[in-house]
Amino acid sequence: MSLQNLILNLHKFWAGQGCYLAPSYDVEVGAGTMTPDTFFRVLDRRPWRVAYVQPSRRPTDGRYGENPHRVQKHFQYQVIIKPSPPDIQDIYIRSLVSLGIDLAEHDLRFDEDDWESPTIGAWGVGWQVVLDGLEITQFTYFQQAGGIELFPVPAEITYGLERLEMFLEGKDNLYELDWSGKVTYRDLRLREEREFSEYNFNQADIRRLQTFYSLAREEAASLIERNLLLPAYDMCLKCSHFFNLLDARGAIGVTERVKMIGEVRALVNSLAQRYIRAEESR
Amino acid sequence: MEFLLEIITEEMPASHIKAGLAQLEEKLKAELIAARLPVQGLRTFGTCRRLVVVADIPPRQESKEEVVVGPPKAVAYGADGSPTEAARGFARAQGVAVDRLEVIPTPRGEYVGVKKAISGRGAEEILAELLPSILSSLSFPKMMRWGEGTLRFSRPIRNILCLLGGEPVTFSLAGLVSTGFTTGHKLHSPHKLPVKSFAEFKSLLRQNKVILDPAERKEIICRNIDKRLRRWRASLHPDDELLDRLVYDVENPYVFMGTFPSPYLKLPLEVLSAAMREGQKLFSVVRSGRQLPHFIGVADAPGDPRSLIRQGNERVLLARLEDAKFFWEQDRKVPLAKRGPGLARIIFQEKLGTYKDKVGRLKALTSYICEKIDEPKLKKDALTAAELCKADLLTEMVKEFPALQGVVGGLYARAEGYPEAVAQAIYEHYKPIGLEDSLPASLGGAVLSLADKLDSLVGVVGLGILPSGSSDPFGIRRNANGVCRIILEKKFVLSLNQLLRKALSHYGELPLRPPAEVLDDCLNLFNQRLRSIFETQGYRYDLINAALGAGIDNVYFAGRRLKALETLRQSPSFVPYVLMAKRVNNIIRDAPRSMVIPELFEAREEKELHAMFSIIEKNVGPLLEAGDFGKAQSMILKLHGPLTTFFNRVLVMAEDKKTRRNRLALLQAISQLLLRVADYSQIVVEGEK
Repeated sequence: MSLQNLILNLHKFWAGQGCYLAPSYDVEVGAGTMTPDTFFRVLDRRPWRVAYVQPSRRPTDGRYGENPHRVQKHFQYQVIIKPSPPDIQDIYIRSLVSLGIDLAEHDLRFDEDDWESPTIGAWGVGWQVVLDGLEITQFTYFQQAGGIELFPVPAEITYGLERLEMFLEGKDNLYELDWSGKVTYRDLRLREEREFSEYNFNQADIRRLQTFYSLAREEAASLIERNLLLPAYDMCLKCSHFFNLLDARGAIGVTERVKMIGEVRALVNSLAQRYIRAEESR
Repeated sequence: MEFLLEIITEEMPASHIKAGLAQLEEKLKAELIAARLPVQGLRTFGTCRRLVVVADIPPRQESKEEVVVGPPKAVAYGADGSPTEAARGFARAQGVAVDRLEVIPTPRGEYVGVKKAISGRGAEEILAELLPSILSSLSFPKMMRWGEGTLRFSRPIRNILCLLGGEPVTFSLAGLVSTGFTTGHKLHSPHKLPVKSFAEFKSLLRQNKVILDPAERKEIICRNIDKRLRRWRASLHPDDELLDRLVYDVENPYVFMGTFPSPYLKLPLEVLSAAMREGQKLFSVVRSGRQLPHFIGVADAPGDPRSLIRQGNERVLLARLEDAKFFWEQDRKVPLAKRGPGLARIIFQEKLGTYKDKVGRLKALTSYICEKIDEPKLKKDALTAAELCKADLLTEMVKEFPALQGVVGGLYARAEGYPEAVAQAIYEHYKPIGLEDSLPASLGGAVLSLADKLDSLVGVVGLGILPSGSSDPFGIRRNANGVCRIILEKKFVLSLNQLLRKALSHYGELPLRPPAEVLDDCLNLFNQRLRSIFETQGYRYDLINAALGAGIDNVYFAGRRLKALETLRQSPSFVPYVLMAKRVNNIIRDAPRSMVIPELFEAREEKELHAMFSIIEKNVGPLLEAGDFGKAQSMILKLHGPLTTFFNRVLVMAEDKKTRRNRLALLQAISQLLLRVADYSQIVVEGEK
């Protein structure tokens, strides 16, 4: 099964579970969790079901296209179901079966792995799902986001698409993965990995990145004052991305790191508070 | 009647299972006994998905008699002895005939009342009442909510089986109603299984791919590992922690053995076994201490007929080993000595600065300890080790395998050609990591470990962060424990006060609490840790009190005092000696301190005692300095005769004030000498008045 068919299969499966299939978000994020389709929708009390593919950027994971497992941009398949239904684990297991995995022949484990994102004031409890030793999914019951206790509790399922596809194709090198039957992961992504690794680690201009970060932070703060919370959140995502780039350039000292994470978290927490207040008075 | 409770959850961490079962046992026993349902033969079992309790409970509460007290007798009966309206009203209210009223003597006088037999309620009813609150009160290291519920638990509860005498006990919890069925293995036999008894429960689970008893799972795992290894004349690189986790991680253990390409054997065993353990939870396989190109894994599956599980794990491991090899090669391109400046980027503790600061303090403290334990030759290597010991925090290898901190630094130092003493000291400077971990084997490792632990300890305590209950986020207790064990075992003669002061002084301008407070808290902590170490070694608590009572400034000596006391305890002199010390103590209690003036002695017996004491004091002094408390004790024992005669013949509380004060002064001096060995007043002996 190609990566493309894997995505189509997951779309079909989760659409069948009543999920809205969202387009990928168009601002750089480190994980599917950070897009508005997850972040804002878990804050309020209304039921929510969504599934989407999200390109996720982790500049420090770049390896110039030379490591068969690590890339500075990978693809997550993100599912949010709120409230978490009692049989959510079974549903997840059925999604694996729908991909043609015969679980009777494999070892599928849910290994304790709690999740935390200090930048967006979020944490949850859950597992990494391990199939024959390979981590294929992060499964989390969200407890908090934007510093707010979540009720009802959403279940978040994040498949690592490359990992899962490597399992399905039995390959050891992600660049050899078949994307569509016609093009491979290498065809589509190798040049991007090389150029972005060079940019992230060596070329990104530190001073300009610092300026971008400050501008985005100021913009976020001012948008929050005007109650334009979604645009403000985009600016927080920008901050987080510039922070990650600065980190890859080795340009963040200890005290700065704490300070910057704290700054973004304060903005995110404050807009989450406002969002919730507006939702509750609807 | 047989009581059976099974909570099925989503996968819990091993530590949660143990915590949950221990609390379930304790709370069930307490609550049921309080409810007059004496529990017997309670046993618990756990898997990652199940908390199970089985016990024997009587079908009904024991009945009891209740006395309801009514009006005073004088009010209840008229002069003629007939019941008054008050008595009749009370009887009516209690639903009994008035002639059933009895006279009840109370502390306030005689009253009338009625005795009623309260027949016990059924156990089922009581269990249904108690269980929801018991289960909601369980606490876990980290709790969560799920769905639309408010209950906090380890992981979501998905089914509750509860039976008494084969019949379901019905109650609700977290949106679930308890049932009379269990389910088999989540993947390999996910069937609903109606159950009537524990025996049936256990065997149904077994048929449906679940081994309920952890001891049996462990036995299966160990037996099959042995079977796999025998052919290779190999053994596991021992890892009890991993084994214990696997016992709880799987319901249906299947042991498999895999292989990896032998070029990776160039990596050190420590790195290979970390690559196997982290993430995939595999054991590395060794023969006479050397890694073989094999690993052992434990799957949660009935078998692996097509070897898919083995092959999958081999493929994933290969990627990890490739990473480890890459790290090993990359890291060594930057020598440890060049990594120093990078430590300024890693925080040791938010308010205590970076690892660069810490290394500066470590060097100063290491140098100080080397001088104090009189090991000048060690100093050069120990200082090099202190300088380099945290550099591995900047390596990719430690970022990938944090548990290898120290170990990796030691391996790199060895590869870079540093003296073995330097490499070894770095390698083991985190030891002992847990309460049962072994100590650093080398002297350099011991000194560096002491310095590292003391530095962390005074810093964190300096911020006012102290361990409480089970919470000890900075491992302060563990650190203090390590310090004590190292000093005791390595026989270091060191002053704890001076060490702590020195360590604290290196923090310089940091806004820590006043030194006196920090020292006080640290010494308290050391006192507790020493006590616990000695208790674990099986010493009597009063001997421990007596040894620690003489001071813990010199930890090694505290241990020697205790050994001397233990030797004394096993000798016939124990009781007379302790009684003698106590007698001296008792008589001087509350007397003001004064000096002995030999010219004032009158009686022969006191002159003799004083002469004897002076000789003994002179001889015992050097023994005490050297920590030879056994010999000191036997020497002091020689005072027993003269002291007894003294007490028999001489009146301490003499009329003459000067004489009295002088005799007390002599006893005070003796008592002071005794206290330099131990605080004998803490010891409990028979024959004490």
